Amino acid sequence: MNENNKKAIIAGPLVVLREEFDDWAVLFDPETGNAFGLNPIGVLIWKHFDGRHSIDDIADVIRKRAEAIPDDMQDHLEDFVQATIDIGLAVYEAE
Amino acid sequence: MAAQVMKTPRNVDVEITSFCNLRCAYCSHFSAPGDIKEDLPLELWRRFFTELGRGRIMTVTLSGGEPFYRKDLRDIIQSIVANRMRFSILSNGTLIDHDMAAFLAATGRCDLIQISIDGAIDTTHDAFRGEGNFLKAVRGIRALQANHLPVTVRVTIHRKNVHELEEIARFLLEELELPSFSTNSASHMGLCRKNADQTQLTVDEQSLAMETLLTLSDRYKGRINATAGPLADAQFWLEMEQARQEKRQRPEGRGFLTGCNGAMKTMAVRADGVIVPCLQLGHVILGHINQDDLWDVWQRHPQLQGLRQRSRISLDHFPFCRDCPYIPYCTGNCPATAYTLTGEIDHPSPDTCLWRFLNGGGRLPAVTTSHE
Repeated sequence: MNENNKKAIIAGPLVVLREEFDDWAVLFDPETGNAFGLNPIGVLIWKHFDGRHSIDDIADVIRKRAEAIPDDMQDHLEDFVQATIDIGLAVYEAE
Repeated sequence: MAAQVMKTPRNVDVEITSFCNLRCAYCSHFSAPGDIKEDLPLELWRRFFTELGRGRIMTVTLSGGEPFYRKDLRDIIQSIVANRMRFSILSNGTLIDHDMAAFLAATGRCDLIQISIDGAIDTTHDAFRGEGNFLKAVRGIRALQANHLPVTVRVTIHRKNVHELEEIARFLLEELELPSFSTNSASHMGLCRKNADQTQLTVDEQSLAMETLLTLSDRYKGRINATAGPLADAQFWLEMEQARQEKRQRPEGRGFLTGCNGAMKTMAVRADGVIVPCLQLGHVILGHINQDDLWDVWQRHPQLQGLRQRSRISLDHFPFCRDCPYIPYCTGNCPATAYTLTGEIDHPSPDTCLWRFLNGGGRLPAVTTSHE
């Protein structure tokens, strides 16, 4: 069990989510100019980086809303969250 | 199938002022539809940038006139920053001092400052830009470099600098140590229309510029680039000629008016707040900022839709293209130069027509690219 899985995640206040097409979005960090592509599941996850949802909460949301969920979904979710934190797009809410 | 349009453009080009401290002989702004008598006040630009922020625009490119001529440019930039966007500026460089450069650097949001330099020495640059402006522009570049800002140069090639390209490249890349620069040429827009004989390259000069730029591009590997003008023409035309000689099949997107994809990813605003598809198509009025719904204009305006559908128009239909052996490899090029030269947007641009160039006595450069 990852101890971070219960911590709420919050998006960086300056980071912009550009939903360019129905099936494609871009996370844009105006501070660095970096941009990262997101598929619809990525968008769903990102929209829960609101300081109220943890990885476990978001995994529950995905299970309810998505179809054909792979067995290792939670691992992918944890990797995604960690990647956004590592590149400065999000943080865990301070306890 | 028609390409899908993004919900909002990624970039918006904004002519932030119609005023300039210079009157360069080939300026595309003056005498064009965007050349208006009064700038919009700061407050209206602030409202507009708030709307851009809501539309999740990523970058704003400021041009003019001369952006640094506006006394409230810092407030304008702060409004862009406050709305979570980045910015680039196209400038003549003459009004940039260390204080301004330090301000730009402190925002942390500057993608690029592009300065116009047309010569390796003052007499060449100043020939069409006015006395004393070479030194001022170079001083501006030095101030930007001292503040570690991303600075580049655009060289407009014309009749008085076409024999100086080697010295210009050396000056910019070796003496000023710029990472790269880009080139275009005086094209038939704005003031250039009045001064075409003095500024626009003849066919022979165009041939010379293409050959020289290809050689320099090879020598300074990847540090000289172009999306228009002699270098871009040379690269594109050589590819077309090779395709013709090898009798290649028509590549995807060629043989139709596919020369510009701008209307799919960007839009523009004139200094008077008129929304246009592109600042070079300033006569195509799509609406007004702070009045019309910007995203409705972007998604649905018939003229913007029309520009996006140019790519369905085959070059075979144009009498202008009759008997041309390059049709299967051609894109028709820029709709704005097509308009200024023919009065029609939905027409191939004569300005960048290989067949016309060759029939006018032009010659393609020998391929000089070295292979290491």
